[in-house]
Amino acid sequence: MSVESYYTLPQPHELSEREKEDAMGAYLMMFASLATSLPLPIINLIAAVVYYYVNRKKGRFIHFNCLQSLLSQLPTTLVNWGLLYWSLQIFFSESYVLNDKFYAYLGFSVLANLIYFVYSIVAAIRARKGIFMYFIFFGPYAYQKVYSKKNRLKYENEDHHPDVEQKVNTPPI
Amino acid sequence: MKLNITHQERYSRSELLLRGIFGVIYIVLPHLFLLFFFSLWGSILSVVAFISIIFTGRYPESMFEYQVKLLRWNLRLSARLANLADDYPAFGLDGTDEHTSLEVPYPERISRGLTIVRLLFGVIYVILPHAIFLYFRTLWGVILSIYAFLSVLFTAKFPKGAHDFLVGTIRWQYRVNLYMGNMTDTYPPFSSK
Repeated sequence: MSVESYYTLPQPHELSEREKEDAMGAYLMMFASLATSLPLPIINLIAAVVYYYVNRKKGRFIHFNCLQSLLSQLPTTLVNWGLLYWSLQIFFSESYVLNDKFYAYLGFSVLANLIYFVYSIVAAIRARKGIFMYFIFFGPYAYQKVYSKKNRLKYENEDHHPDVEQKVNTPPI
Repeated sequence: MKLNITHQERYSRSELLLRGIFGVIYIVLPHLFLLFFFSLWGSILSVVAFISIIFTGRYPESMFEYQVKLLRWNLRLSARLANLADDYPAFGLDGTDEHTSLEVPYPERISRGLTIVRLLFGVIYVILPHAIFLYFRTLWGVILSIYAFLSVLFTAKFPKGAHDFLVGTIRWQYRVNLYMGNMTDTYPPFSSK
């Protein structure tokens, strides 16, 4: 896809403080479970989904960061659910015991969470400065989704673009 | 912060009775059901805002606006439950109300040091001293509410002194909430004015 198919990326000075703050907030949703005092992996994901739908129309920069933050949570959430499920089985079932495989998975989970945590904090700081940070896989996807001219979403901080106007009425031939 | 609940010339006796008997069903339950979810989201945003303040020294503006709107909704409901205002309280964050008003100026900066102090020692130097005063004010407020209830029932007028006292108590509580919620750096005064 050519560069013309995408909107020009805004530079930090072109973004308002509010946009930067809202974009930063997307990554800080990983602390959502602290507020509910429930250490369930799903809480952060639900918070990220809510935040995404509440804020995505506010601006492309916010939409991009919300989408990237939401998508990047998915693998960690799945890994954490796996760990929770396995731990509960060991705790409640007598047929499951602590073994090397579990410890290996525990180590992997801790590492995955740590990487996710560090990346998210760095991304939050960069978003606050109005700088784009692309996560592996999710970054390019979010960029394509948000900044592509095929994206029909109307943003509150943009004038209506005639080239993205949906053509409802078309000639019969 | 400016909080006000207007003192009406006359209060509706039928609404008073309706609220007194069926208020829990048609006002409290539907509002609290929704407010539970909105408040849950509000507490998530509070945690996010806390972290944001620690890193940037600013309360994100859109989150601040959300919290103010949530407080306004709570105020609309509180005013009706205390019989301080007539009419049904509007639902939603953007709901409007002619009887209640709450203005909270957006602070450009929030002290990071104070934010940490509040987290660690807020219970000792804010909540405890204010709770003592508010406890006795609330007790007296309950007595005044009964007096005002009877007054409205028989005369359709809410005693001005009782109204001011009850609104003052709510104002005081809101100031403490704002301070503890990191929405202002101004220590709440021991006053209802």
